[in-house]
Amino acid sequence: MKLTSIKLCNFRSFYGTTPEMLLAGGDVQNTTIIHGNNGSGKTSLLNAFTWVLYEKFSAAFASIEQLVNKRAIAEAQKGQAVECWVEIGWEHEGKRYRVKRACRGYKNEGDFDAGKTQLTMWVGADDGKWNIPTQQPDDIINQILPATLHQYFFFDGERIEEIVRSDKKAEIAEATKIFLGVEVINRSIRHLGDAKKALENELKAIGDSETKQLLRQQEKIERERERITKRQTEIKEELEYQQTFKKETSNRLRELSAAKELQERWQDLESQKTANQEEYKKTKEALKKVISARGYTVLLSETTSQFRGIINDLKQRGELTSGISREFISDLLNSQRCICGAELHEGNHSHTHVSTWLNKAGSSAVEETAIRMIAQVDEIDKQAIGFWEEVDREQTRINQLRQSISQIEGDLDNIQERLRKDANEEISSLQKRLDEIESKIDELNREQGANQQQIAQLTTEIEGLNKQIAKQKLNEDKQTLAQRRIYATQDAIERLTEVRNRQEQQFRLQLEKRVQEIFMEISVTPYIPKISEKYELTLVENTTGIEAPVAASTGENQILSLSFIASIIDKVREWSEKRKMMMIPDSSTFPIVMDSPFGSLDENSRRHIAKTIPQLANQLIVLVTKTQWRGEVEAEMTERIGKEYVLTYYSSKPDCEQDYIELGGERYPLVKQSPNEYEYTEIIAVERNI
Amino acid sequence: MSQDANIDDVQEPINSAPAEVRRIIERVWKLEKGRLDKKINSHINDNILDIIKEEVR
Repeated sequence: MKLTSIKLCNFRSFYGTTPEMLLAGGDVQNTTIIHGNNGSGKTSLLNAFTWVLYEKFSAAFASIEQLVNKRAIAEAQKGQAVECWVEIGWEHEGKRYRVKRACRGYKNEGDFDAGKTQLTMWVGADDGKWNIPTQQPDDIINQILPATLHQYFFFDGERIEEIVRSDKKAEIAEATKIFLGVEVINRSIRHLGDAKKALENELKAIGDSETKQLLRQQEKIERERERITKRQTEIKEELEYQQTFKKETSNRLRELSAAKELQERWQDLESQKTANQEEYKKTKEALKKVISARGYTVLLSETTSQFRGIINDLKQRGELTSGISREFISDLLNSQRCICGAELHEGNHSHTHVSTWLNKAGSSAVEETAIRMIAQVDEIDKQAIGFWEEVDREQTRINQLRQSISQIEGDLDNIQERLRKDANEEISSLQKRLDEIESKIDELNREQGANQQQIAQLTTEIEGLNKQIAKQKLNEDKQTLAQRRIYATQDAIERLTEVRNRQEQQFRLQLEKRVQEIFMEISVTPYIPKISEKYELTLVENTTGIEAPVAASTGENQILSLSFIASIIDKVREWSEKRKMMMIPDSSTFPIVMDSPFGSLDENSRRHIAKTIPQLANQLIVLVTKTQWRGEVEAEMTERIGKEYVLTYYSSKPDCEQDYIELGGERYPLVKQSPNEYEYTEIIAVERNI
Repeated sequence: MSQDANIDDVQEPINSAPAEVRRIIERVWKLEKGRLDKKINSHINDNILDIIKEEVR
């Protein structure tokens, strides 16, 4: 982050809109000096930076409520809004940014209400246009320079020793850990651990996989089916062979003259048997068809008789009279004449007589429906009778065929028996062979049937197993994936832990070394700064051979704090230039804005710090009083000045003492008499001819 | 040991990680970095879980 400008409006002592202060950002002339006497608004300016970026103020910043310039409030009408804002610009990784934090106050009867602040950000594009980013401005600022670290970059030099005060140690250690990336690694490790637990729970929920066992089972069944299928082929071949063999044997038998007649008779009977069997099969089929198509009719007899009972009952009660309909009687009454010719007038005897029929007669629509239903019910009853007749017919036919087949079989047996016992040995042996073939065929047919059934059953089992396996396989894939994820997470945790250990070893020790170098260069004391494992900064002495903490003076602590900040910026810049990833600020450029930086230091220390800080920070903005500036600080820093400003304080105090500062041969007013009753500050740019 | 070697040494466990582990570390690191200033880390575990699931498929 390289700060480029700051502009204020009605912010504290700055009345109205100030001119834009451009900030130095060169390689050598990287320092901006802002001169101002006490009370002129130096601390306000420092806080303008922290307020616009983080809505935070430094500890010494009194009366935060009085943010809005008093003159602006005094001059406003009642109920009128007064605006107060700070706008700063910076560059970061090739992009230009501007943010403005504004606060609108309303002047009421006797008091002033300041509303909430509003932060707006613009990001400059290469084409010169400024766009509002989609991300939250706070988030963008925090990614560039986290708020927790702001005390390293914007600080009050007179209170800088707070960094090493024991009650601030933990806070600073925390910030240092963030700066060095340790905190991010710690959080990553912790949250990856949580994620790993969640993944393990997911794995448990998937459950154990049984795929292997199911696959074994499937393989076994498939082998069995294969075996049976193979056997079926064998049977088929064997049957074909036996049939051919039977044919040949029969033919040979027929060829023998003695057996010829019997054999022919046998052949004839055999074809009769086949014909009868065919017929038998057909009749059975016909019977099945009759039952399936019309069998229901015989089950309806109870229902149809119930229906008849209802109809009879309705008729007996006169609710369903056959013959005369209500509509017919109404017609007669309307036409005022009966079919017998009698006139029907309201009140006469004939009319009364005919009218009584209105109650007895039913509606023709109901009657018609009843008649239709009766016809259908009659039809069902007839069908039931027809069904039984047909069934009887088919049954009789079946019995006849059965008898006929058994007769033929008996005849065949007789022929075979005669052939078996034939005196001619050849004939009898051929017949015996035929018997054997026959029984073999019979046996094979039975086996074939049984096998077929078994194959069908095994196929169903395999299909079922396939479904189960597919399901298990899916589970197994999920398990493998979950395990891979757990493994990767664990690996990430281990690697991050190792990085943390190495970082601990290297960064902390290198940082400590650098603090020691800088501190020893500035301070005349023999004390040694140490950075503990918890990243806490302490000062120790080693004069007795044993390290002992030092009760350091304010000045020592100031030197220590500045050394620490300088070394952090120096080391982080060095590391982040090489490896971006593990460093927190995405940058190797750091600004330092320091207010009254040389507070209680002696001349020697001031000289050293004035020399060191511009070298270590990329950009330096220093707010100084005349006395803080002149002498060794001026001597060390003048060459580094890129921009310079004077804060001119207009005092409302009558007859106030005016003050000036001489810069680059010119006189600039530090304190002037206010032309009105208000005190306020103006910003004047210094023109040096360096 | 030179400074370069030190830095490389610190990063070595990440540099030598399998691609997916490296991507997980980098993405989680970025996510955590973006949330450094947030005290409440709600949804962060879900986000990390999503990162792991996206990287290891």
